[in-house]
Amino acid sequence: MDRLDQLHSKVRIYLLVLVIIQTGIAVGVFYLLTSQTKLSAALCLLISLGLSTLVALVTVGLLTNLLLQPLKAIWQTIVHLSPEEHGVSTPTFNDLKLGRDLVTSLATQIYQLVNVSSQAEAEMKLVAGDLSHNFVAQNLPLPLIMLDETETIRFANQAAAQYIGITANDMIGKNAYMVLDMSFPSEKTFDVWLKEAKAKSATAVSSWERVRLNLRDDHPVRLFDLAAYYNRNNTEHNETMLVLFDHTKEYSQDDQAVSFMALSVHELRTPLTLLRGYIEVFEDELGKDIKDPELQGFMLKMHAMAEQLTAFVNNILNVARVDNDQLELKLESEDWSTTLKSSIEMLSLRAKVRDITLKCSIAQDLPAVAVDRLSIREVINNLIDNAIKYSGSSKVIEIKTYINREGLVETTIQDFGLGISTSILPNLFSKFYRDHRNRAQIGGTGLGLYLSKAIVTAHGGNLWVRSHEGEGSTFGFTLIPYDKMANNLKSKDSEITRGAHGWIKNHSLYRR
Amino acid sequence: MEPTSSATDASTPPAPGRTVLCIEDEHFISELYGRALTKNGYVVTAIADGEVALKEAQTNKYDIILLDLMIPNLSGIEILRVLRDPARVPPLKAKIIITTNLEQREDVRADIEKRADGYLVKAELTPYQLVDFLNTVK
Repeated sequence: MDRLDQLHSKVRIYLLVLVIIQTGIAVGVFYLLTSQTKLSAALCLLISLGLSTLVALVTVGLLTNLLLQPLKAIWQTIVHLSPEEHGVSTPTFNDLKLGRDLVTSLATQIYQLVNVSSQAEAEMKLVAGDLSHNFVAQNLPLPLIMLDETETIRFANQAAAQYIGITANDMIGKNAYMVLDMSFPSEKTFDVWLKEAKAKSATAVSSWERVRLNLRDDHPVRLFDLAAYYNRNNTEHNETMLVLFDHTKEYSQDDQAVSFMALSVHELRTPLTLLRGYIEVFEDELGKDIKDPELQGFMLKMHAMAEQLTAFVNNILNVARVDNDQLELKLESEDWSTTLKSSIEMLSLRAKVRDITLKCSIAQDLPAVAVDRLSIREVINNLIDNAIKYSGSSKVIEIKTYINREGLVETTIQDFGLGISTSILPNLFSKFYRDHRNRAQIGGTGLGLYLSKAIVTAHGGNLWVRSHEGEGSTFGFTLIPYDKMANNLKSKDSEITRGAHGWIKNHSLYRR
Repeated sequence: MEPTSSATDASTPPAPGRTVLCIEDEHFISELYGRALTKNGYVVTAIADGEVALKEAQTNKYDIILLDLMIPNLSGIEILRVLRDPARVPPLKAKIIITTNLEQREDVRADIEKRADGYLVKAELTPYQLVDFLNTVK
């Protein structure tokens, strides 16, 4: 207030001095004119008043400038601080003649205020970016994880921490791929999926995928729908929002069904082995003595049925292994024509008892392939079994193997039976999928093709189907020549171990 | 394996007098194995008890020992450990073939296989396949 008072009294003095000077000029001029000239009093008054008005006009102009200087300086300061484009230079207060102290102190205060408010703004931004202070984000019952542009975890809420079993603080700053151990039903990996989600973000708000989240050791596997919401150029670095929707209950029903079946059929293995053993002994020792051709046929059929049942049991056990990621393949160099022939031989009995002929054509000079003999046998088993089942009245199944255009060993199994309608082809390799039209007539679990696909894929090959309804179906699969596979691995290991979901091991631990 | 082919295999390479000790507590299995092996010229002794079997094996008069891993009184793994003890004098002349239905963890299985001369999963094995396999064991 001192400075304001100072300015106040200064202005008062200026105005007082102005009034006194003005009055002095008017009175002085009037006096001079009346005493020194012969002009009339009225004229003298007019001249003196006119002169003093002129002087007043000039001085008021000067004084106004002087008085408005502080106001102008303050205006300059404020405009200068505003964030918009203004073209106003930094104000200087040194040449102020009036109220310099007051203006300087006011400007300082303005600067301080602006500082404080921009700090507050920055803090607000920080809080918005750091969701850990956000009540809703923290307490949302859905696991919520924010990733920045390098896929580093920026935030994880309480639900996420609970599900994953790591505290939020332990997750933040870590790479998402290290923390979240997710399996996808497709052959995608988490990083590929995220990249695709980003690429798609221009057209889709979010990307969805069913995932299996492998939790810590003491937690069971849970099944989720994973949604990624991608937000490019986010100033707070919360680029991707991951939300997990727990559907373990719904999704695990399939898995539970398989586990239950696996548990039950496991008990069938020993009696079945024994049964096959006894049948074999009978056939071996009695076969020649049975003269009745019908009884001979019965013996063969009994054997064929026992083998079919064994194949069924193995299928279920193998599906359980695939689902639990426990199927391990030992890829060894095998002569494909020998392996294929011996597998077909095992199935010929089953074909024979149904009067079906297996026609086999094997190309010359096939290279050795990288296969796990037992598993690939399951594939041939399943495909030929299917061909037998769906042959209808047709009595021939053709099996061919050759080198295809990509240099892979391709094997096809063709039947001339019922065929598959185009509408169901896409689902053919899904677990438990069966052609509803044939469910009643033809037995099956809907696991054979699912398993075959998993096994062929794990071999690095591809299983395909071509079918015309009423004309039959051709199933084919490719296998990689051993040399090619070994070259790809740049490894001299004589044996390669794989899991059902791709490469898992390639080292010497399992070498015999 | 085709039954007819194994029958012909079995008739051609007999193993006259090769002795087999079958350590197996499942009576049906030892019966089946015994029959198939005997028919093909093997001399088979079957024992269902771990301790008794170990004592018998120690006599060192067998060419082949079929060893189930799950048997009463003494586990197959323990029997394997004793029989394959490097300090044993004289060393056991028998080839030891593990027969089991247990699906071992890969590392456990690898360890067992290292000390045994063969590893067969019973569920995947018919009697004549066993004969074929033993014919290849020298």
